Amino acid sequence: MPDHVPDLPLGDTKYIPPVRKADWLMRIGVAIVTLVIFLAIFGPHIGPYDPTRTTIRIAVPPPGLTEIPGLVAGWFGGTLDHPPHWMGTDANGYDIFSRVIAAPRTDLKIALLANILSLSVGVFFGLIAGYWRNWATELLIRVSDVLQSFPVFILAMVLVALAGRSATNIIIALAFVYTPIYLRLTRAEVMGQTARGFVEAARAMGNSELSIALRHVLPNSLTPALIQSSVTIGFAILLTAGLSFVGAGVRPPTPEWGLMISTGANQIVLGEWWPSVFPGLAISLTVFGFAVLGNALERRYEQG
Amino acid sequence: MLLRYIIRRMLIGVIQLFCLVIAIFFLIRLLPADPVSRLVGLNSSPEGYAQAARQLGLDRPLLEQLGIYLGLFPDVAPGLLQGSMGVSWATGSSIGSEIATFLPVTLQLITLAFILAFIVSIPVGMLGALNPGKAVDKGVFVYSLFAGSQPEFWWGLLFVYVFYFQLGIAPAPLGQLSPMTMPPDPVTGFMLIDTLIAGDPSKFFEALHHLMMPVITLAFILSGPIIKMVRQNMLRALQSDFVLYANLIGLPRKRVARYALRAAMGPSMTLIGILYGFMLSGAVLVESVFSLGGIGQYAIRSVLAFDYPAIQGVVLVITAISLVVYLLLDLIHAAIEPRIAY
Amino acid sequence: MNRDDPLLRVRNLKVGYEVPGDLIVPVEDVSFDLNPHEVVGLIGDAGSGKSTTALALTGLARQPGRIMGGSVTFGGRDLLTLPDDEIRAIRGRDIGIIVQNPRAALNPMLRVGRQIGFAYRAHNDATAADARAHAIDMLRLVGINDPERRVEAYAHELSGGMAQRALIAMALSSRPRLLIADEPTSGLDVTIQAQFLDEMWQTVQKTGSAMLLVTQELGVIANFCDRVLVLHEGRIVEDAPVRRFFSAPQHPYSRQVLRFYTDRASGYPEQVSGGGGFLRTDALTKHFPLRNSDKVVQAVDKVTISVARGEAVGLVGESGSGKTTVGRCLMRLEHPTSGAVILDGQDITALNAAEMRKMRSRMQIVFQDPFDSVNQRWTVADILDEPLRVHEGGDRAARRERAVAALRQVDLDPSLMIARPRDLGASTLQRINIARALICNPDFVVLDEPTSVLAPRARNSLIALLARLQKELGISYLFVSHDLTTVRYLCQRVAVMYLGQIVEEGSVEQVFTAPQHPYSRALLSAHLMPDPTRRRVDNPVPAALEGEIPSPIDVPKGCYLASRCPHVTDTCRVNPQILTDLGKGRAVRCERVVNGEIAPTPESDDA
Repeated sequence: MPDHVPDLPLGDTKYIPPVRKADWLMRIGVAIVTLVIFLAIFGPHIGPYDPTRTTIRIAVPPPGLTEIPGLVAGWFGGTLDHPPHWMGTDANGYDIFSRVIAAPRTDLKIALLANILSLSVGVFFGLIAGYWRNWATELLIRVSDVLQSFPVFILAMVLVALAGRSATNIIIALAFVYTPIYLRLTRAEVMGQTARGFVEAARAMGNSELSIALRHVLPNSLTPALIQSSVTIGFAILLTAGLSFVGAGVRPPTPEWGLMISTGANQIVLGEWWPSVFPGLAISLTVFGFAVLGNALERRYEQG
Repeated sequence: MLLRYIIRRMLIGVIQLFCLVIAIFFLIRLLPADPVSRLVGLNSSPEGYAQAARQLGLDRPLLEQLGIYLGLFPDVAPGLLQGSMGVSWATGSSIGSEIATFLPVTLQLITLAFILAFIVSIPVGMLGALNPGKAVDKGVFVYSLFAGSQPEFWWGLLFVYVFYFQLGIAPAPLGQLSPMTMPPDPVTGFMLIDTLIAGDPSKFFEALHHLMMPVITLAFILSGPIIKMVRQNMLRALQSDFVLYANLIGLPRKRVARYALRAAMGPSMTLIGILYGFMLSGAVLVESVFSLGGIGQYAIRSVLAFDYPAIQGVVLVITAISLVVYLLLDLIHAAIEPRIAY
Repeated sequence: MNRDDPLLRVRNLKVGYEVPGDLIVPVEDVSFDLNPHEVVGLIGDAGSGKSTTALALTGLARQPGRIMGGSVTFGGRDLLTLPDDEIRAIRGRDIGIIVQNPRAALNPMLRVGRQIGFAYRAHNDATAADARAHAIDMLRLVGINDPERRVEAYAHELSGGMAQRALIAMALSSRPRLLIADEPTSGLDVTIQAQFLDEMWQTVQKTGSAMLLVTQELGVIANFCDRVLVLHEGRIVEDAPVRRFFSAPQHPYSRQVLRFYTDRASGYPEQVSGGGGFLRTDALTKHFPLRNSDKVVQAVDKVTISVARGEAVGLVGESGSGKTTVGRCLMRLEHPTSGAVILDGQDITALNAAEMRKMRSRMQIVFQDPFDSVNQRWTVADILDEPLRVHEGGDRAARRERAVAALRQVDLDPSLMIARPRDLGASTLQRINIARALICNPDFVVLDEPTSVLAPRARNSLIALLARLQKELGISYLFVSHDLTTVRYLCQRVAVMYLGQIVEEGSVEQVFTAPQHPYSRALLSAHLMPDPTRRRVDNPVPAALEGEIPSPIDVPKGCYLASRCPHVTDTCRVNPQILTDLGKGRAVRCERVVNGEIAPTPESDDA
């Protein structure tokens, strides 16, 4: 029989009122992320045009709002001779829509792999640095600090540009950039867990230190890192797009949102907004979706 | 005590700086990029290639190159110990002077963006925290998540399209001043200050006009995390035991609010540190979009041109600034928070 | 207003809070009166809503709670309907309040004097200088010795007792008509607690305030209150003058509460023969070095104790006494700075890591906080399986059966095997901790304050369990505690510790009925007996100590108690005291006692 009747939370349990719309907000996040994953898998195949080939050589604006119903009817009726360019084409004639939905494969693949790599390395070293505190692990932290103190973007740019512009190098560069974050996060969590009584109880019981670290501390310390992953993946996409934008990312003609924005940037001043706006909108919504999802997971975790 | 702490931190900082510079030095030389071809062309003769390599100092062994860079062989070329960062392979100018031209532009941008972001974000964040759970709080919260996840380079372009192309209120994104205008004498390097020193108010306003959109873009991105953190810290402070107790003993509302605000400030210092790194990255991209000519653009140019000394110079300077900023923040935090002992 | 009118009238108070999908109402329907100059106790279990009620009297509810109904009439007005600035005027001025965790209630970033000043200026016209002077006066009034210095301190620099006094200074600074004290002494040491309650009571008499004292401890109620309110399941189930409450409780719940206090065997546990230390320490010493300093914290100073087979030895003391550190050194969770720990003839401080691990199956420890001692993600089955896995291996089915048997041994149902810690209550979890400690059949168990986080009602049943297990299994206990009732019930012998030294030891009967050392006497008299006929406030207390416990970093040169002892002389301050054997297992560390200069206490009834 429980010893106590529930009373109001006291003292340390901070109560931050849930944004009641947490439910709808989280649903939006889940919906966006699911859509992006779907596009990553199927995107390059379901577009009306091949994302890496051009058919015409000029920039064509997207259809006006009034034309759309007619085009939709024509498309399903089979009366059109070629599929409409729903989002227009860029100056080289690529269909924007097909490329926008093909890009998630590139961006998500890079972001996901970078995240997995940095998560694994960061958690591994974070556990060591947090549990065994000696001069070697202090050195590790210092190194990680130095890495972390340097602006993310410039570091990534240097690495990719000099190693060669390929997806693999971007993944490695991003992993470099994100590992210190996971290391810090895990280390802090591990240090907190190690101070808890059950670790001492396990020692008193006769467990070896390694056994305690792996059976007790590690499983309890993983959650913050896993939650952070959602946000990190979003930022990795942002970073990849930014790198491609300045020319230190993926190579053309790979469909990638940042790259598309940069090729379209020259046209903006001429009034041709569509090559840059649509890919940017895609990034905007995607990263927002990941951020929302990450935040919803964080709130779930805090409320136990 | 305080002095010892500062000195110790600075010493550690210098060591970190040193390590990073050496690490970057080796890292960029170990990567497969070939700066010689980049400069001399892909179709050069082997002699031309060898001569270019000699000129860049790349024919020497790695450790010797490091030594020259550090200034251990001053008769070959001046190095860090002599206060020189070398010469840019792309332009031939002294890197020190190039950075001195470009860095203030970025600092000016960041400072203005920071100020604007804070002026807007703190009241908004507090507004959310003081009305928890209500519609205004939800709005504040969603906005903060949104703003913090946006691509700044895209928003910059969007602003250019809307405010320059469509509405014509903003100038063309071609730099700090219109290409037709003569820039004032570079006294401090900060355009806004220099125009004032030169006694030319019209140029001052023109510079301000050109800065408007880049600053707004960067401030927009910054506002996301700042609002999120202000709101969260205020909420935590408002839920704390001592705020409850302050209410219990009947302190007036204003006093209680100030209690909460003061407590919320400490954790914010760490945030500002994180933001700083965030900002420099954002500044790089915003500078490119608006062609401001700051250190971000300089970095991009150097990287794409495989200009090693320039890259090293940028890394050195930016890391040094980072370390100083972090030290200052830690000091401020310790000054505000009586629980921290040195 | 008629002088006999109640000061505060509470009717049908209701406080609740919403969780997703449910409404929880800790305070269902509470009604009572408070009269001027009266001291009323409010008693109930942990989580019964006492604090919630106390806060609600001022119109506040801790987030996410809300006051949902009822009235609180004070000075002719219903406080719950007043607009914000009017009720803020009443809070702090007419109704003062002190809360449970005093250091957390103070603003960590402001000096204490300023905070007291703000509280004063919120209700009185005063300049900052006036307010500071007033703060110093109030600090002196509540018993702080050098108020001019303390007024500049920050909250984290104060001890728990000091901080609580600062809160009282704040609460009483405008001479309120009512003082609400919400569990003001939880977390304070026993002697400090007694001191503090004495002072609070006296100050309240001086200011003429009424007091509502919220607590779980019957001892506090009996000694300080005129009337008792019992809160159970959100309602006041009994409202009686204190003597009648203790002698003839009406409500079944009240009877239940009192039964656990009165229903005890009056005899002392039988002594155990077979002397010789099965487990003993030899001049055990432990110092902790301080960071950035040459100084050390002297936690344990040449402590020699011995425990026979099947014997329970109690180690009592307050914070800084070193009793917990002794227990930890016995378990080699800390490495002694010097001295030895000998189990069954073997010096365990000399073993290497592998040998020590094997030795650990023979000695176990039960910690204070049952929740912190277990991995929250594991099930009870995993928790009980761990020691078996480490020490014995073997097949899982056999281990599982042993785990089930261990549960039964501590009177728990085997269905709990699949439960997780967060679903269980504190005393259930503590029983599981005991089961875990016993599962490998150790010879010796250190019990480090196992009952201090449990509600008073649960403590006795846990002690009864420990006593029974000792008889059944013949294990030895070292029982570390600050709660004398539990020690008296379980242990044959006891050692009293102060600042790392043993100051008195002997059989429990000897020490508890006729304590010799001034500190033991103070400790025992500070223990609040739940007997309203002999109230502490009605009779002068002979053995009270003054002042605070000195810091273990700068230990005094002579007798450690010199700064606080009522019998101190100049020789005491200079001569280090040695533990002198008085024969029959009795020992005292006090020259004056050994020389017969201090009159022995008259034989008192059982503590």
